[in-house]
Amino acid sequence: MSSVVSKIREPLITGHKSYHDITEDLVSPTEKVPGPSWVIAFIVSVSVLAFGLFCIAWTIWHGIGTWNLNRTIGWGWDITNFVWWIGIGHAGTLISAILLLFRQKWRTGVNRAAEAMTIFAVICAALFPGIHVGRAWVVFYFFPYPNTRGPLWPNFDSPLLWDLFAISTYFTVSLLFWYTGLVPDFATVRDRAKGFRKKIYNTLSFGWTGSAKHWQRWESLSLILAGIATPLVLSVHTIVSFDFATSVIPGWHTTIFPPYFVAGAIFSGFAMVLTLMIITRKVLNLQDYITIEHIESMNKVILVTGTIVGVAYLTELFIAWYSQYPYEQFAFFNRALGPYWWSYFGMMFCNVVTPQFFWVKKFRRNVALTFFLSIIVNIGMWFERFVIIATTLARDYLPSSWSFYVPTWVEIGIFLGTMGLFFTFYLIFVRVAPVVAIAEVKSILKSSGDQYLGPNAIHHEHSGHDKVIMDPIHSDEISDEHHGHGDAPSDTPGSPADIGTEQAVKTGKDVKGETKVSNTYVPSSRKEGSEKDDLKKIEGIGPKIEEVLNNSAIMTYIDLVNTDVGRLNAILENAGSNFRQHDPSTWSAQAKLAAEGRWEELKKWQDELDGGKTKK
Amino acid sequence: MEKENTITEYNFTGTSRLVLLIGMGLGVVCMILSFFLDGGVEHHARFWSNFLHNSVFFTGIALMATFFIAVCITAWAGWYTIFKRVWEAFSQFLIVGFILMLIIGIGIYLHWHHLYHWADQTILNPENEEVYDAILHGKSAFLNTTWYVIIGGLIVLVWVFFAYKLRALSLDEDQNGGDANFSHHRSMRWYAAAFLPIAGFSSAAMIWLWIMSVDSHWYSTLFAWYTGASWFVSMIALTILVLVYLKNRGYFANVSAEHFHDLGKFMFAFSIFWTYLWFSQYMLIWYANVGEETTYFKQRIDHYPVLFYGNLIINFIVPFFVLMRNDTKRKYGTLVFVSIVLLLGHWWDFFLMLKPGILHTAHEAAGMTGEHGGFTPGFTIPGLLEIGTMLGFLSLFLFVAFSVLSRSSLVAKNDPFLEESLHHHV
Amino acid sequence: MSYRNRSIVYGLYNDEEVLLDAVKVANEKHLKIMDVFTPFPIHGLDPLLGLEESRLHIGGFVYGSLGTLTAFLGMTWIFVQDWPQIYGGKPHWSVPAFIPITFELTVLFAAIGMVVTFYIINGLGPGVVNPYIDPRITDDKFCIAFDVHEVNQVDAEAFLSETGAAEINAKTL
Repeated sequence: MSSVVSKIREPLITGHKSYHDITEDLVSPTEKVPGPSWVIAFIVSVSVLAFGLFCIAWTIWHGIGTWNLNRTIGWGWDITNFVWWIGIGHAGTLISAILLLFRQKWRTGVNRAAEAMTIFAVICAALFPGIHVGRAWVVFYFFPYPNTRGPLWPNFDSPLLWDLFAISTYFTVSLLFWYTGLVPDFATVRDRAKGFRKKIYNTLSFGWTGSAKHWQRWESLSLILAGIATPLVLSVHTIVSFDFATSVIPGWHTTIFPPYFVAGAIFSGFAMVLTLMIITRKVLNLQDYITIEHIESMNKVILVTGTIVGVAYLTELFIAWYSQYPYEQFAFFNRALGPYWWSYFGMMFCNVVTPQFFWVKKFRRNVALTFFLSIIVNIGMWFERFVIIATTLARDYLPSSWSFYVPTWVEIGIFLGTMGLFFTFYLIFVRVAPVVAIAEVKSILKSSGDQYLGPNAIHHEHSGHDKVIMDPIHSDEISDEHHGHGDAPSDTPGSPADIGTEQAVKTGKDVKGETKVSNTYVPSSRKEGSEKDDLKKIEGIGPKIEEVLNNSAIMTYIDLVNTDVGRLNAILENAGSNFRQHDPSTWSAQAKLAAEGRWEELKKWQDELDGGKTKK
Repeated sequence: MEKENTITEYNFTGTSRLVLLIGMGLGVVCMILSFFLDGGVEHHARFWSNFLHNSVFFTGIALMATFFIAVCITAWAGWYTIFKRVWEAFSQFLIVGFILMLIIGIGIYLHWHHLYHWADQTILNPENEEVYDAILHGKSAFLNTTWYVIIGGLIVLVWVFFAYKLRALSLDEDQNGGDANFSHHRSMRWYAAAFLPIAGFSSAAMIWLWIMSVDSHWYSTLFAWYTGASWFVSMIALTILVLVYLKNRGYFANVSAEHFHDLGKFMFAFSIFWTYLWFSQYMLIWYANVGEETTYFKQRIDHYPVLFYGNLIINFIVPFFVLMRNDTKRKYGTLVFVSIVLLLGHWWDFFLMLKPGILHTAHEAAGMTGEHGGFTPGFTIPGLLEIGTMLGFLSLFLFVAFSVLSRSSLVAKNDPFLEESLHHHV
Repeated sequence: MSYRNRSIVYGLYNDEEVLLDAVKVANEKHLKIMDVFTPFPIHGLDPLLGLEESRLHIGGFVYGSLGTLTAFLGMTWIFVQDWPQIYGGKPHWSVPAFIPITFELTVLFAAIGMVVTFYIINGLGPGVVNPYIDPRITDDKFCIAFDVHEVNQVDAEAFLSETGAAEINAKTL
């Protein structure tokens, strides 16, 4: 992780948080008594889940005949829902793993919840193959094991069996990944808890101590798990797509299915993450951690994956024509203009057209619109699976077998039940565990907190050899003591920071050996407007340039420190062609030394400089 | 400040020019020889297939460089900034690529070659009962010279425009950038974002036209993405080689093991991604066992086994086992070795995509039916003339890239991500 | 790696960069640090503490290879030897069809193996109660701890106060 952060980036943590604030904000939801909105949501979820369980019981008791499947359409809502849920289950591992490898820091705000979502979604998905086989009580026949029925093994050549392996592996690895990330955060909860609660969280936290060696291994483990989870997440939906693509059914047998299913899964997964996170951040007051910046980034992913899916739809459509294979051509004709035409157009509209709104920055940063569109995308992705499954099966090679399918109340009930299951799990999760990864957010605070980055930043880094200044983190308690710039008891403008250091050492507070000048420092004398430093002491500034700078209200070293190179360039640019050749890149760093009265260091550095420019 | 020891101007020396000119000369000689030593295949198929193969390969590398710059800009990536000029230089080869592909296109009009079976007008006429090909007739709304030359040419020109524009903005940023609004970067983001979907759609169309239509009956929806992945790995491999070379010459002192590590990761990851696509395409066709589709692989496994299995070994096994470790991505020795292997390996992959179909077409045009086993120079495996031609094209590519590189500063000094890139740590 | 029953003197710092500088000073003074406890992983700390690079990835490779072999050889034995059947005209030993499960088991074995190894070598697990030093270490304090049997307690305390520790304490774990 680079410690230098470009000023072009937006902060990812707002509200000038200290480390303690982060702990407080993120742990407190697990410590409070749930509010009425949570209770109502929970009751609704559990009720819907109960109805779903009733429908499952009904199915098992009466048999699959309670569904409207028939000989032609053997897969309907069950497999549609299965694929839909599996797709949703992709965002969590994707955010954690792929974005970790790509070093996208915004993932830290949403990865925990997204991983939880993954696990719950996979549970919902796994339900469907379990019950659609009919005799759910012998579902363990799926698994290969040396058994008492003679050498009877499952068919390892069957994609359906591959799917079993893929989903079990995915579930296990996601769970391990998620839980390993949670362990240090459970320790944080533990260390704030008392009594029985403390015991529970100690068990959950596995006795985590925060030792350096443990952290080192923890990071190594996370990285390798991310590394192997990345191909894993690709493989899972790939194998789901094999369920269809290995067949010889027109519209199913197409080689683009694997990557196209993966892109679709990421697409729907991100949509579901957005739906959930927009509610969560509102209800739990996490707007400082899940910022508009996060939402915008996810909307970009939605736009990209939506467009990839669009490319895949059109590729399929085009190649169906290009193949000159009449059955393939008919399959697509049937999708667009057959009895289920509405689902095809629903899919095209929701998945390809609506995400295009996100080309506009204003829309990407609009929470209400994002929430609405995220639901639209989820509906669209459900349509996609329905189009692939039911529409294709309804018109097979034999026109005499053509059929039509609508779900029964039982099938709809089971689908609703999985929704209930999903939200019940999620609601329990937000009460039990920190929704945002505490340790990971803390570790990006100094590179992405808004006190360091963006328009509200208190401090800026000035040059390559100046490290980031750290005290804004403790701004509540400390800054007034040793960086109380407005009212610093300083009559010598050159040395305020030195005084700060002395104080800091005395009070045992955190200040490193070297001194710093802050951007917001305004010496008291400056307020009267009389102060003026000799800017000519900065190498590269002559009397003429000094005049130009003074005209631009840059009078003191401190002013110069606070002016960024871009503005200096602009000032020189405007002053005329004679000034354009000057390179002000080191001036603010030089001025900083001057302001701090470190003349010897400045002298030494100036000797190395070539007319204020770094040597080539 | 780390910029201190960096040379910011690339000097394209006379020696380098001479070496590359000799390389190009070698290429020309090999091409002339292959024009005449066609191994008994009609229509100078050996010459023209080599021409197509290398043009497509190197144009694709330039396209991928443009595409990846656009990806990095839209993803707010910072690490690559110090060497982005190299990719900008690669991207300018698209102009040459346009000319090369235009020559092939004109060749179709003027019947210089017979690379594409669909270009034969006689088989599209239902009255010619004996040779009439209903499938190709059905496809002729797409597989025709207008699409190939006019629309294809326009598409490549659009790519050229974006490659030019992204570089021009970047160069302008050097001079006039650095303002507080990052206005250059903003407009770069606009062009980059616009280019992504355009490249996504149009590259697929061009891949179908240029490459997939060589096997004119065969089709695979995955093919365009598979080819794109192959181009991408080649582009990263060539980037590593060029950067290592330039670093040895004293340029890019700031490009550290950290940057190579990341390039190595991309090369590793996309080699695996390529394998994933290879497997998906192969396995699905193998599994479903539909004759129209399996013929593609059957032809290659039966008559080109060295190419077919070699392709997988070179492009998957080698990078997988060498680059799996972290330190091999940070050492020049291993990294350069794998880059060379992969650059050749993906060139080999394109050879395998194109040559069997072209030979088949040539045989059919000569009135020979059925498959012909046995050894055909320049087709069964790449011969010396093929390798010479490739070196010629590589020299041309590098000549263009280095000339472009020498015309601007090596460091994008006002890029807002430059500092991040200088302090990049994996 | 339990620190039970060890007598320590420790300092709590408010900031990880101060802690990093302090560790550098400790290295210069050859003070042997027992351990450092932090609320989140600190970059650049491991080399200062002289921690060797984790070898977990080697474990991952071994477990993964075991998974590869189990899956591929297992399926080969079952479909070629134990229960040869013909499905869809495929040969008994149909390698392309074995790839997906082989891949999945590779990942599964690697992940489970590494995670279990991780908890075992760290001495962590459900029900483990490690002695802990200060509850704020998982919140916003950064702790350097010395074992009083390894360093002179007075030196250690002086060091901690010089390098800016906000609190200095001693206890037996």
